[in-house]
Amino acid sequence: MGDDSRSIVVPERLYKTVTVFSTLFAIVTVVGGFVALDAATKSASAKASEVSVPFAVLGIGLIAAGGLVYAFASRFRARGMATDKNSDDQQPNNG
Amino acid sequence: MSIERKDDHDHKAWIKEKDLTAIESTFLTVLVWLDRRLRIVDYLELLETLYYRVNLQMPKSHTEQYNLDNKFWYWYPLYSLGFFSTLSYVVAAISGALLGFYYSPSAAAATCGVDGSTVAYCAVAGIMTDLNFGFFLRSLHRWAAQVMTAAVFLHMLRVYFTGSYKEPREVNWLIGIVLLSLTMVFGYTGYLLPWDQLAYWAGQIGVEMSLSIPLVGDWVAQLMFGGFSLGQATLQRMYLLHVFLLPFVVTTVIAIHLGLVWMQGIAEPH
Ligand code: HEM
Repeated sequence: MGDDSRSIVVPERLYKTVTVFSTLFAIVTVVGGFVALDAATKSASAKASEVSVPFAVLGIGLIAAGGLVYAFASRFRARGMATDKNSDDQQPNNG
Repeated sequence: MSIERKDDHDHKAWIKEKDLTAIESTFLTVLVWLDRRLRIVDYLELLETLYYRVNLQMPKSHTEQYNLDNKFWYWYPLYSLGFFSTLSYVVAAISGALLGFYYSPSAAAATCGVDGSTVAYCAVAGIMTDLNFGFFLRSLHRWAAQVMTAAVFLHMLRVYFTGSYKEPREVNWLIGIVLLSLTMVFGYTGYLLPWDQLAYWAGQIGVEMSLSIPLVGDWVAQLMFGGFSLGQATLQRMYLLHVFLLPFVVTTVIAIHLGLVWMQGIAEPH
């Protein structure tokens, strides 16, 4: 697990930048994407012919972009942080 | 408000020397660019410092002194269950008072589309179908009641498993048992009020359970249900218990319970 996923250790301050801004970006795009999708399909009540295709594609695109950025950001980590709890570099301290 | 920039790390140089793919270094460069302009992280760090400074002003609790926080922290959310019980009680009280404007506890015959229906049943049916926001109001009352029952029970488990019932809080534990019982009586009496099939047969079970009590069974059935078979007297008693007697009693007992918590302070985990 986690062997093939790339992980890059960055300075702590940069790690904060990555977390804060990628999360912010993901929230805004995913919520915005759903709003767009809702508008395109009149809250899923529109007939197939009435759906605004560009808006629907925009919505799905935004949701995907948000997810992508969020997932991509997870490869950066600060020193001492484990990607999963079975990693060697994290000792259990009985939290 | 403005704060001095503490972050003098040279991110650009760092990104260059590190072995990153094109996407990764672009990604980081964009985020650093944003960070330079929006400075959200700086302000979050300010809040973090503020939080720790305020915390240092607080007296240390037993949990902190003996460094138990790291083993105990996951219990803390459950300390809100008592307040959650209180809150659902208040919601039930308000929505119940509003329902009271439209309900009447009468087992007399009435017509609202179902054979053998009564005034009480038709009142509830009317609330659901004719009254603006009636369906919502009744749902709110039912949900509040069920949430309260669950919250009170879980609150009791929290008190038990953190050992908070121990000396000097025995009295509040006993008061709690009274509250749990009264909560269930509240639920039972309310359950009978729609006087539908569920209510009626739940009432029948109640009468028979009362009658099964040794020695005083007959007397209890008479007192609580107004007789040995269900009728107007039963419904009226349930109504009085539910909207008159119990509200006063439970409100008072909760007040005493909370007053004791206030006086004694919250218990440290045992
Ligand atoms: C209507 C029902 C009840 C309400 C509204 C209520 C409310 C509360 C509240 C707000 C607190 C403050 C601490 C906290 O929120 O956890 C509290 C504490 C306490 N409750 Fe209740 N409670 C109810 C039922 C019960 C029951 C069923 C028991 C046990 C049989 C109980 C025993 C206690 C004890 C011993 C404390 C003191 C705990 C401590 O100091 O940590 N309560 N209650």
